[in-house]
Amino acid sequence: MLAACDAETLVAHADAVVEGGTEVRILQAPTPQLVMQQVVEPVARQLFNLGEVLVTAAEVELDGEKGFAMRSGKAEKPALSGAVVDAAIESDHPRTAEMVASLSATATERERERRERWGETRETTVEFEEMEDHT
Amino acid sequence: MGYVAVEAGEDVIQRAEELFEKQRVVGESDQISVEQVGEQFSRLTAQAMSEGGLYAPRLAAIAVKQAQGDTAEAAFLLRAYRSTLERWGTSVPVETAEVFTTRRVSPAYKDVPGGQVLGATKDYTQRLLDFELIDDDGTDPTGDWDVEAEDPPRLRNVMEVLREDGLVYDPERDPDRDDDASSGAGTEPFDATREPITFPAPRSAVLQELARGETGAVTALGYSELRGYGQVHPTLGEVRTGDLPVTIEHPYTGDEVEVTTAAVTETECVVPIYEKSDDPQFSFGYGLVFGRNERKTIGMSILDAAIQLDGEGAAQDAEFVLDVVDGIDSFGFIEHLKLPHYVTFQSILDRIRSIRERSAAAADETDPAPQEVGADD
Repeated sequence: MLAACDAETLVAHADAVVEGGTEVRILQAPTPQLVMQQVVEPVARQLFNLGEVLVTAAEVELDGEKGFAMRSGKAEKPALSGAVVDAAIESDHPRTAEMVASLSATATERERERRERWGETRETTVEFEEMEDHT
Repeated sequence: MGYVAVEAGEDVIQRAEELFEKQRVVGESDQISVEQVGEQFSRLTAQAMSEGGLYAPRLAAIAVKQAQGDTAEAAFLLRAYRSTLERWGTSVPVETAEVFTTRRVSPAYKDVPGGQVLGATKDYTQRLLDFELIDDDGTDPTGDWDVEAEDPPRLRNVMEVLREDGLVYDPERDPDRDDDASSGAGTEPFDATREPITFPAPRSAVLQELARGETGAVTALGYSELRGYGQVHPTLGEVRTGDLPVTIEHPYTGDEVEVTTAAVTETECVVPIYEKSDDPQFSFGYGLVFGRNERKTIGMSILDAAIQLDGEGAAQDAEFVLDVVDGIDSFGFIEHLKLPHYVTFQSILDRIRSIRERSAAAADETDPAPQEVGADD
């Protein structure tokens, strides 16, 4: 859910962790990178490279725990914030409950959006009727 | 013939570039924002991402704005940016059955399992210019829909139905199938961004190159098959659009984690050309591209099928198709012709004048046959 959580929420949580005096060591600075998207073609089950997806990944260490986050697109600050939140949750930081609640809310909202979007799509389901009798 | 560099005043080149930028800003309307490009011209950004081989919607919107709507130039900008980046790694291979479907129609089966889901399309309406868009107020026409949210189902792929009936290739039942690089599954697929393609090319290379091919080229080459320059006149199993999960292996836990989704369009086609005379089955072709671009996936599926047939038609020749289908390659080579070729051209002129002078001198004595001249740079 670190990838799907809105950037403002992640940054706010990470800022709160850092401002609370927790020392954060950056293991991998947030940098735009590429993930090659591999797909299995469904007929012959041929694996192939569809193309690359732009992501930004970051890694940090906080209270002896490592944190990792990857965000879509060019998103340095949200990626670094996500890694901080990940490490903070792993290290059972005092704000853990609040952060987990945010991420759970993200998951719930995402699911709601998916259900609603499918509901819209389903409204366009049609039954085609042949206009000539071929029998 | 080699190339000879030329130089010109940098300030003049700068002025030409400024004049180009002026074309975008000189009008009386407000400047279009990158967000507006991304949201309202999604077909343009989709085409740029697909042809650039890079899924990055926001950067594609910037590229389209910068290129003033020229998708080939926008794709070039994306590919140039991509070349400056490191690769984090590869995704977990994803089955397209995992796509969150937003449209799925089957031209092959009327009563397809899961139904014909039209999704967002204008395929079944008249193509009439809509003058009301001049005073468009942005009203959502679906605003009064009474939508009931529902868990998205897994829409079964039509090819599964054909496979169950033994009518299309089934890799599970192929005793001759091996897992080397030319057959694909189980091995690392060819990566055309890392190594040049040699021929005969593995199918994974063909699919990758077609997926990032220029839309017009893919469409035209596919169309050539339909127009009788090949054997493939397919029936589409289905056309689908949706969101493909991008999943990685977490570097610490090893768990598979979905980091984002990529909008894609997918097409499978079947071709009534029997793969085996003793056990007739459909041949098939496959198309999958970033973004919403149905004509490209249909063209891609035709070309995949044509190349697998390996016949005499132009579009059945993998080397020909892959050599011309990439937009960055083709527009680069075509457009380089407008750059200075003064030395090349002067050389050709010299040769023609020399031949003409020799011909004129010889004309007094004999009646020489005309000579051809050519240039190759």
